[in-house]
Amino acid sequence: MTTTTASTHRPGVTPAHRTDPLAGAVAAEWTRLWSVRSTWWTVLAGVLLMAASAGQLAIYVANGNTDDDPLNDAGVVAVTDVVIDAVGLTQYAVLALGLLAITGEFTTGTIRTTLQCTPSRGRVLLAKALVTGAVTVVLGLLLGAVGVLVAAPVLGRWGTAPAAGTAGDVVAVAVYLALVGVFALGLAAVLRSAVLTLTVLFATLYIVPLSLREPDIAVLDRIADAFPGEAGRHFLTGDTGPYPAAVGLLLLAGWAAAALLAGRAALRRRDA
Amino acid sequence: MITLSGLTKRFGSTVAVDDLTVDIGPGRVTGFLGPNGAGKSTTMRMILGLDRPTAGRALVGGRPYRELRHPLHEVGALLDARAVHPARSGRAHLLTMARSNGIPGRRVDEVLATVGLDARAAGKPARALSLGMGQRLGIAGALLGDPPVLMFDEPVNGLDPDGVRWVRRLARALAGEGRTVLVSSHLMSEMQLTADRLVVLGRGRLLADAPIEEVVAGAGTEVRVRVPDDADRAVLTGRLVAAGATVEPDGPDALTVTGVTAERVGDLAYERGIRLHELSAREASLEQAFMALTADSVEYAATPTGGDTR
Repeated sequence: MTTTTASTHRPGVTPAHRTDPLAGAVAAEWTRLWSVRSTWWTVLAGVLLMAASAGQLAIYVANGNTDDDPLNDAGVVAVTDVVIDAVGLTQYAVLALGLLAITGEFTTGTIRTTLQCTPSRGRVLLAKALVTGAVTVVLGLLLGAVGVLVAAPVLGRWGTAPAAGTAGDVVAVAVYLALVGVFALGLAAVLRSAVLTLTVLFATLYIVPLSLREPDIAVLDRIADAFPGEAGRHFLTGDTGPYPAAVGLLLLAGWAAAALLAGRAALRRRDA
Repeated sequence: MITLSGLTKRFGSTVAVDDLTVDIGPGRVTGFLGPNGAGKSTTMRMILGLDRPTAGRALVGGRPYRELRHPLHEVGALLDARAVHPARSGRAHLLTMARSNGIPGRRVDEVLATVGLDARAAGKPARALSLGMGQRLGIAGALLGDPPVLMFDEPVNGLDPDGVRWVRRLARALAGEGRTVLVSSHLMSEMQLTADRLVVLGRGRLLADAPIEEVVAGAGTEVRVRVPDDADRAVLTGRLVAAGATVEPDGPDALTVTGVTAERVGDLAYERGIRLHELSAREASLEQAFMALTADSVEYAATPTGGDTR
């Protein structure tokens, strides 16, 4: 404790101009994400949810085809159809990853340290979006693979898995999860609270479009189609109506981008 | 160099910082003094771009903090030592900070050694650190980028006497290297030992911005006089009050006199043949200077527009 400071002789700190601030912010975000155990638990939760959900839905299909009631015969289905249905539940683990990237900072107060290191609000959020997107794409590929591996043997002769189609669907699942993950991040930057964000996500992805479809009115159906959850579903299932799958992808990407912009505005305006 | 000009922060109808204009220069320790709620932390948060000023500007090295690309190389700050994720280790916390500004990982070990946190303490989750160790971790974070400007908000909170002395020496050493060092505290005694210059805040307003000796001298001199005889003491008290002094009893046989010089007290006693055991003049302490300054700010706050400050 006799040391006063190590900086009397100006230690070899990398000259600041050599590193790009965005690259630094991304590196910091990466370290931040993986240096708490909750990230690993969330990944594990996603894998378990997918395995359980895909297994259960596959059992429903197989049972429907073999019981005495011909009304619920699904016939032979693509294994990835089951996986895509299972995403409906599994996505909440991925959403948690996206929203916890920032709500955790607000509850623990580390947002002040983060903004002290990276004062540009846009850069902080962009770095979080890049890391969340990259992590959820990889996690999405893993979850898609887990879903296929669980659903295929359960479906048995009632499931088909052509190599190209299956791979394409797994990639689509990964892209979908990355976009909703980033959407969750942007929304959380605006709302700040994990519970509130999860509630709004549940509403926009599921409850509101479902309620809008209930009365079966064309206008309300069109509005429901524009919601992020519906856009994502149209993208994943590859339907042709009401719009092509590519439009669904663009709509979902638009929602994610809009949420990020709103998040940046909120971070800029509010005191940390 | 920290430059505040017309810096103002309102929270609703409450004025936390009120039109603060002050320069904090390099090569010395500037003590940022004020009672709790005077606006010290809010000012520091505005300097770091965490709170947006309602009016005015805060510049570091001539630029707003939010425009800095690698801020840890320009300003190091200990604001709230508990702004650490409870589950993250102190080392990972510092590593995250270092990464963001392109600082190599070995610098993390250097600052950990500087603040006296060993590998075992730095590897523990932050929630397991004592208040004192948390303060050291926060100071390590401030030193990370080897910045020319340092701000410490209440750095001695939770430190043992050894740690307090260490922080004092650290602040002095950093200023000795030509850095700008701003240390906030509500402890006058601590400031008297650490600071060269004082910026005193009361209810968000600037009360003083001067070298520490000047602030102390501004509070005036007081005279202590010991009169063993009770009757004599009463007589002397009467004469002093008549001469325009303020007299307060100080212990069983002594008086504290302000408003007249020690010579005058001695003359008055001599005229009446009063026996004295002690006659001494002493400079007011920083604490008394501070009380005198902030007493006014309390009066200011009693006007109808004043409210409770944050």
